[in-house]
Amino acid sequence: MSKSKMSNWSLGLAAAAVALTLSANAFAFDAAALKSAPKVQGVGMNITDAAIKPWDISYFYDGTNLPDGKGTVSAGEKIYQEQCAMCHGDFGEGAHGYPKMVGDPVDQFEASAKAGVDAVSNRGLNNTWGNAPTLMDMIHRHMPFYAPGTLTTDEAYSVTCYVMNLASIPGVGDDFVCDKTSLPKIKMPGEPLYVTNSGPDTANQRCMKDCYKGTPFVVEKAASIGNVSVGKVKAKDTQ
Amino acid sequence: MSENMINTVPEGTKKAGEASSDRRKFLRKSVALAAGGAAIAATSAANAGDGLKTWTTPLKNEPTRHMLGRGVVSVPYGLPSKYESGVVRRNVGWLTADTIASISFTPWQDLHGIITPNGLHFERYHAGAVDVDPSKHHLVVHGMVKQPMIFTVDDLKRLPSHTAIHFLECPANGAMEWRGVQMDSLQFTHGMMSCSEWTGVKLTTLMEMVGVDPKATWFYGEGTDGSALQRSVPMEGAVDQHGRPIPPEYTNHYRDAMVCYAQNGEALRPENGYPIRLFIPGFEANISTKYLRRIMFTDKPLVTYQETRHYIEVLPNGMIRQYDLVNEANSVINYPCPDFKLNGKGTYEIRGIAWSGYGKIAHVDVSVDGGKNWKQANLVEPVLNKCVTKFTLPFEWDGEEALIMSRATDETGYVQPTLKQLREVRGFNSIYHKNSIQVWKIEKTGEVKNVQIENV
Ligand code: HEC
Repeated sequence: MSKSKMSNWSLGLAAAAVALTLSANAFAFDAAALKSAPKVQGVGMNITDAAIKPWDISYFYDGTNLPDGKGTVSAGEKIYQEQCAMCHGDFGEGAHGYPKMVGDPVDQFEASAKAGVDAVSNRGLNNTWGNAPTLMDMIHRHMPFYAPGTLTTDEAYSVTCYVMNLASIPGVGDDFVCDKTSLPKIKMPGEPLYVTNSGPDTANQRCMKDCYKGTPFVVEKAASIGNVSVGKVKAKDTQ
Repeated sequence: MSENMINTVPEGTKKAGEASSDRRKFLRKSVALAAGGAAIAATSAANAGDGLKTWTTPLKNEPTRHMLGRGVVSVPYGLPSKYESGVVRRNVGWLTADTIASISFTPWQDLHGIITPNGLHFERYHAGAVDVDPSKHHLVVHGMVKQPMIFTVDDLKRLPSHTAIHFLECPANGAMEWRGVQMDSLQFTHGMMSCSEWTGVKLTTLMEMVGVDPKATWFYGEGTDGSALQRSVPMEGAVDQHGRPIPPEYTNHYRDAMVCYAQNGEALRPENGYPIRLFIPGFEANISTKYLRRIMFTDKPLVTYQETRHYIEVLPNGMIRQYDLVNEANSVINYPCPDFKLNGKGTYEIRGIAWSGYGKIAHVDVSVDGGKNWKQANLVEPVLNKCVTKFTLPFEWDGEEALIMSRATDETGYVQPTLKQLREVRGFNSIYHKNSIQVWKIEKTGEVKNVQIENV
């Protein structure tokens, strides 16, 4: 989508972040939820933590469960060029429609959102990522896309280090070493922007009669893009 | 019946002028519609056959009348008629780089009930659909539990079962329409939602078996596909990574969660997570992890890639909103809709679907005059919790331009917003959870177009 201003919108309207008025939480789930759960015997097996270990691959936002090992920016650069650049671009700009690593700098991103112009096409590690351990988690489990989960721990740390360096994440210089203690300390630029949703944010009324005066301002699309006829169905078959 | 009919009124329907299009090539048009558009139709009881053309050619037998048909099991797993070959899932090529991390859409324009046939359920992959061998597959439940456990698929089928009909919706449903009209097809405006009967084990059954620590406030599921997709699910008492509470509306949905192995009475389809998936009714679909292999109970969210980068909303104040989990009340008219042309004036039945992630649909109202006047539609039984509800309303079309739309209210009293209301709070970069009232414009030619009303 292009960076165009859509038109006559009043953008000064209240944003959705509503103050939370919840009472203090008990920090425990409601055990009453299990009251009606059936009592079951003799189904399934117990399992040891050691047996689960190979599957216990989730790294929390705060670094919990990050593995031993380490990686460097320079080692990461080599891996990136060989296994990542074809999709994410030599400079992290994205290629063939695959995601960018480097988006708009966070202040520019924020300004675009405030101005009502396109911000989301320019998401990247330097704006919409809250925590560096999440990046390590994502890369280690999901990338490279064609062979997910095949990077060694050190390779994953290295390429994590390199893409953060590419996206000019503060503190991740050319000599930075990524491991389970250094990653949680990194301040991702977008982190301060995150807010938590507070429930429904619109309040339409169920008006039935004479709901407004004047004429509806109706916007249509100028031209259909690639309509094809499939039987009686008019839909866009783009594949 | 006529009391419940909605009709268009020709008098006063006129074009008030055309403004030139902006550089995004939107054609802007003001359409003045008669305020009395939703008046009760006074269809006086006509004599049978009044005003209709007459057929005079002697009837001929169709070819099928003089031949033998196919034998049983000539199609061991039955397929739709060859004349229905246009009723398929479709995707939008330019939306994603490939079809592996991509989405397809359910053809609601061709569906007549509340259930989506399994072969038409929308697809959303982050690393493609995989064929998991159920005889080798396991589910592990661990973390803050007394006893970590492992289950085979057969173990899960042996446990007390739970069956319920629920919709499943990608929160990106409608996303292409935030900035303006883009898709002239219901399939692409609302097709990232499907509705099925789901069968499996309730999560609470498994929670009881492993003895979840009362201090647990979150859990997450993880898949065994290439994305090993994981999403954090809040329970009572959950706070986010900044210590901010998750609203109570979101912390009890897990009670209805299940580990599913069946969809509409048969095994899950590979596209939808075979052999087992997590399913959390009412929540955005991404959280209902497919190809489920692991559930972990914790006291904090993971804040995964999906949670920090994908399923977030960039707000007009520049903030990034996380944990918008529920698909709020939504509805759309699927007949008439842009995928069909009306065949002359006269009687039609407006039909549509409505759904809410907060519970049952309470009312659906329909307007044919651009939202000035509304009439309550008939809800078709069954009306179920977090499930698609069908609605109908007889419609007398006078052959003039009409702006038709539906508005759902759910049992919490939440009323589906207009696009203007939604844009006021969410701006243009929100991407997800676009549940605003959908307007279709019926042209004099009978053609139906996707339009947006900007000022109300
Ligand atoms: C074949 C193309 C391809 C290759 C090669 C590839 N990726 Fe990706 N990458 C993707 C796709 C597709 C996604 C989005 C995945 C999704 O939708 O869940 C993605 C997403 C990402 C993201 C998240 C970006 C964001 O902000 O959305 C990161 C980080 C990433 N890849 C890193 C890597 C690294 C590191 C490598 C090399 C080891 C790599 N990728 C190789 C296709 C690729």
